[in-house]
Amino acid sequence: MTSQPLSGAGIGLRSLHVDEMLATTPAAGWLEIHAENYMGGGPAVRALERLRQDYPLSVHGVGLSLGTAGDLDSRHLERLAGLVERLAPALVSEHLSWSTTGGAYLNHLLPLPYTDETLDVVSEHVDRVQARLGRQLLVENPSGYLRFRGDTIPEADFLAALARRTGCGLLCDVNNIHVTCTNLGGDPDRYLAALPADTVGEIHLAGHAVNDADGRAILIDDHGSPVAPAVWALYERALARFGAQPTLIEWDTDVPPLAVLLDEAANAKRRLAGITEGKGGTLPGCPHMEGGSLRDAVVA
Amino acid sequence: MPSLRELQHDVRAALLGDDACAAREVVADGLAPEARLAVYGHHVLTSLTTALETTFPVAVRLVDPRFFRFACDRYVRAEPPAGPCLFEYGATFPDFLAAFEPCRHLPWLPDVARLEWAMNAALHAPDAEPLTAEALRARPSGTLETASLALHPSVTLLESAWPVDAVWRAQQGEADGVVNLDDGGVRLCVWRQGDDVVFRALTPAAFAFRRALAPGGPLAAGIEAVLAIEPAADLAVLVREALDEAVLQCR
Repeated sequence: MTSQPLSGAGIGLRSLHVDEMLATTPAAGWLEIHAENYMGGGPAVRALERLRQDYPLSVHGVGLSLGTAGDLDSRHLERLAGLVERLAPALVSEHLSWSTTGGAYLNHLLPLPYTDETLDVVSEHVDRVQARLGRQLLVENPSGYLRFRGDTIPEADFLAALARRTGCGLLCDVNNIHVTCTNLGGDPDRYLAALPADTVGEIHLAGHAVNDADGRAILIDDHGSPVAPAVWALYERALARFGAQPTLIEWDTDVPPLAVLLDEAANAKRRLAGITEGKGGTLPGCPHMEGGSLRDAVVA
Repeated sequence: MPSLRELQHDVRAALLGDDACAAREVVADGLAPEARLAVYGHHVLTSLTTALETTFPVAVRLVDPRFFRFACDRYVRAEPPAGPCLFEYGATFPDFLAAFEPCRHLPWLPDVARLEWAMNAALHAPDAEPLTAEALRARPSGTLETASLALHPSVTLLESAWPVDAVWRAQQGEADGVVNLDDGGVRLCVWRQGDDVVFRALTPAAFAFRRALAPGGPLAAGIEAVLAIEPAADLAVLVREALDEAVLQCR
C-alpha cells in the first residue's frame, strides 16, 4: 500500500498521542514520523502500522548525517531503506547538517561550513541515498546558531545548488529560516527567494524559544511552543512563493494535548486554503522582484 | 580553513570536551564563538541525558536526580552513541556506573540499571514468532530432541547478587518502597509479552535451561545443562513454562 500524496496540514506523531490517535482517529491531514524511532520492533511499530491505514505518512530522518566527511553510515541507510519500503510513505526527508564523526553520533543537527568541498560531500551522499531508496529525498534547511569563517556560499544558495546537482527536493522549514536569520543576521525574504520555487515539496512550522546568551537574545529551535506570529507571517509569504505545499506542525518538547497540536494544524490549513496563486508568484513585500531574479540578487 | 573532516573532529572535541580549536573557525558576530558552540554542546548533553533518563527511570529515582545527570554527563562525554537510534544508547551505562567512583557505595545500582536495560531491549526487540507447543508437537517423531531452538529476540537472562526485581517493584506506583537488600540475589528472565515487557524470577534449573538455549541449539543442550545442576528437575515443566511464556523460537 503506497501512501497517497500529502496535502494540507499534518502533525508530527508523538508517542504521547498514539493511544488517543488510535482510539479517536481525529481529522489530521497526515502524519510525520522520525525514522529513528521506528527502526526496532515492538508496540510503537505495531501502532504505526495501524495508524498508516488511516493517515498518509511522511518519514523524516534525523540521523543520516548527510554532511559527514567520509562515508555515510551504510547500516543506518539500510535500516532507513527497510523502513521506507515497509511504510511506503508519501515523502522522505532529511537535513542539511551533520551528526556523526569518528563513529560518534552527537544527536544534534550540527552546522556545516558552506563551501565547495561540503557541497561535493553532501551531493555525493544525497545521490547515494536517492539511489538506494529509489526515490527523491527532500533536504531541510537547519536552524543556525553559528557561521564558519570559511563559508563561501549563502545557505539558501547552497540548498539551491544541492537540488540542482542531485535532483533532490527541499523541505522549507519556515521557523528555521526565522531562527537562523535572527541569530546570524539575514533577510528571511531573501532566503525564501533564493530557494528555487519548484523544488520545495514540504514546509515545516514549529515554535522556538528566546534565550539569553551573554546578554544577547538568541532564538532556540526547541519545537516547544506555538508557532510565533512572525513565523506565521513568513509562512504566508512562503506559501505565496511555493504554492500550497503540505505543511507540518512540529512539537517535540513540552508536548501539549493532541487537541492543541490539531488546532495549530488547523491554523496552517486555513492559510493553505487561502492560497490561490501557484508557484513562483510575486513575493509579498517585494512587489518589484520576481522570485527568480531575487535569487540572483542574493549575496553572501 | 581546515578540511571538513578536521573541522568535524574539532567540533566534536569542543562539544564533548573543552577543546578550543573549533572556536577559531567560528564567526563571533556579537557573541563569543565559544558561546555559539555551547548552544550546540548544551543540546547534545541534555538530549542524550534525557534519553538515558527515559531508559533508566528507576535508577534516576534511586539516586539524587542531579547526581544522575552528573553521571550521564560523564558517560556521554566518554561513550557517546555509536548510532542515531537512541533506544539503542546506554547498553554500557550499567558497566559505566559500576566503575564510577562517586557511586561505588551503591553496589546494587549497576544491576538495577542492567534490569532496566534488559527491559528497554525487550521493548524494542524485533518481532518474531514464538515457538508454540502445537508447532513443537507437529514435528515429525524422532526430531524433537535435535530441533534447533533459540530464545525469542526480546529475552534477556539476568543474574544479580541483589534483589533487583524487588528494588524495581518498590519504585513503581503503589509500592511502599521498602526492600531488604539482605534478601539475596535473583535470576531473572526479562522479555516482551504482547505489548508488555515483563520479568520473572527463575529457579536455578529454569535459568540454566534457558541460558543453555541462549546461543541457539538443540533442546538436548538445555536438558543437559539442567541435569548437570539438578538431576531431579522436572524437565517437562521447564519446557512447558518456556512455551507458555513464549520465550522460545525455532531456528
